[in-house]
Amino acid sequence: MSAAETGVGIEPVTDDPDTGGFFAAAREGRLVAQECVGCGNLQQPPRHRCVACLSTDLAWHDLPPRGTVHTWTVVEHQINPNFPAPYTVLLVDVEDAASNVPLRFLGRIPGRVEPELGAAVELVFETVGDAVLPNWRLA
Amino acid sequence: MADDVSYDWAPDACAIAGIGTTEYTKASGVSVTALAAEASLAAIRDAGLEPGDIDGFVRSDYDETSPAALADSLGITDVGYWGQTGAGGAAPCAMVGQAVAAVRSGLAKNVVVYRALNGRSGRRLGKGVAATGAVGGNSTYLELFSPWGMTSPGQFFAMITRRHMQQFGLTERTLAEIAMVCRRRANANPAALMHDRTMSLDDYFAARMISSPLRLFDFCLENDGAAAVVVTSTPRARDLAQKPVLIRSVAQSTGTTRIGPGQMYPVLMSDSLTELPSRRIAERLYQRAGLTAADVDVAQLYDCFTITLFLQLADYGFCSQEDAAAFVESGALDLGGAIPVNTAGGQLSESYIHGMNHVIEGVRQIRGTSTGQVEGAEVSLVTSAPPPGSSALLLVAP
Repeated sequence: MSAAETGVGIEPVTDDPDTGGFFAAAREGRLVAQECVGCGNLQQPPRHRCVACLSTDLAWHDLPPRGTVHTWTVVEHQINPNFPAPYTVLLVDVEDAASNVPLRFLGRIPGRVEPELGAAVELVFETVGDAVLPNWRLA
Repeated sequence: MADDVSYDWAPDACAIAGIGTTEYTKASGVSVTALAAEASLAAIRDAGLEPGDIDGFVRSDYDETSPAALADSLGITDVGYWGQTGAGGAAPCAMVGQAVAAVRSGLAKNVVVYRALNGRSGRRLGKGVAATGAVGGNSTYLELFSPWGMTSPGQFFAMITRRHMQQFGLTERTLAEIAMVCRRRANANPAALMHDRTMSLDDYFAARMISSPLRLFDFCLENDGAAAVVVTSTPRARDLAQKPVLIRSVAQSTGTTRIGPGQMYPVLMSDSLTELPSRRIAERLYQRAGLTAADVDVAQLYDCFTITLFLQLADYGFCSQEDAAAFVESGALDLGGAIPVNTAGGQLSESYIHGMNHVIEGVRQIRGTSTGQVEGAEVSLVTSAPPPGSSALLLVAP
């Protein structure tokens, strides 16, 4: 059933040439960042070439299933009809040995979650229509 | 003297010769083109010009009318130059810069710079992403944000606010002070939508939370209206109807750290949420002007949200990031304070014309005609929206 039919959630375009691999990996239960085959740079969000060395030879690098809360907001005033308020949007930092900066991902938890910044979160997967989204819950 | 960021910028070569606005309303009842024409005609006549004297236009990429439609509705033929820049609220100061470039390079003589929107009765920018169909793709990057409920600019700025609170001690009380300062200026401005509504600290905190920690009055207005200015060479401006307001400098920057793809939301994936391109814009702006923050008498700082204004205070050199909250709470932004801001009420309390109303008010301060006049103002700063890339303008007395 699509998100339009259930009325909850928004489906992403999953076949974009630059970001499609992220959603393809999610369908396989993997959280990934883009990795440059040439120089090893990890980048998030994904792009059409490596921003460090400009190579277009890019692959997908598996990340650990845990992160920390960088910041968050509780959406109290419903703006989009597909997302009943209140809900909490998280920005999550994921550390990986292959990157000297954290890779950052979105998360959404129904209701009012008010975590400390830096709180630990763990990876879960959710289905929205035909897409699978990597998501997070408090660890 | 030219240096690495001044290039061969010529201070004061061009001027703003005329300004015009429509009434600001919640439902204009007319088309966006009609609004643009009304504000443009007001600016043209304010300058002492006729529509036939206008040979160039600059628009915002978010505008729903075109220079051709606007020229047609004003009976202007043989337009010789038109340009546009963006994105959205990042544009107005850069739009003035583009008019300067056209005039200085000989592509046009008298350029109308305009922004018109039915921002309440028509397309509401605050509504964000539509709810039907798959979202994103085609380099919008919305597919990495909207499905997690990040669908509107207020949620984006709420994330940045919380981070600033953690890093630098910003409090809700500081944001309240910004909202109240803008409201007090609007209360003195008969054209402001919030002219008749005062705001106390209790009113601020009693208003509903929209996206924590941002409440209703941390958000700008949504309304209909238009604003326009006429840019021409300074020698021509001296022969026109108004005291010319000289364009001392204009600057744009995408910032010195990676800008990120897409339009705005990917900024959330950048290394720091509290470092904006406005710091670099300020450096470039002041160097081109031969001025510093200490020379600025009054500032119109882009305020789609209270936090947006707050973040620029340190970047434009009025205080440090660490001291910014205390600076605001000391009354620095009020009339008589260290740097009076948004003296017509800003987008929080006057009108949301995507920052074009800030250009208008920056001009009024140099003319001495603001309802929140800073006595003897000679250097007037105007900024457009950060992030990701943005622009700013320094106006001076002739």
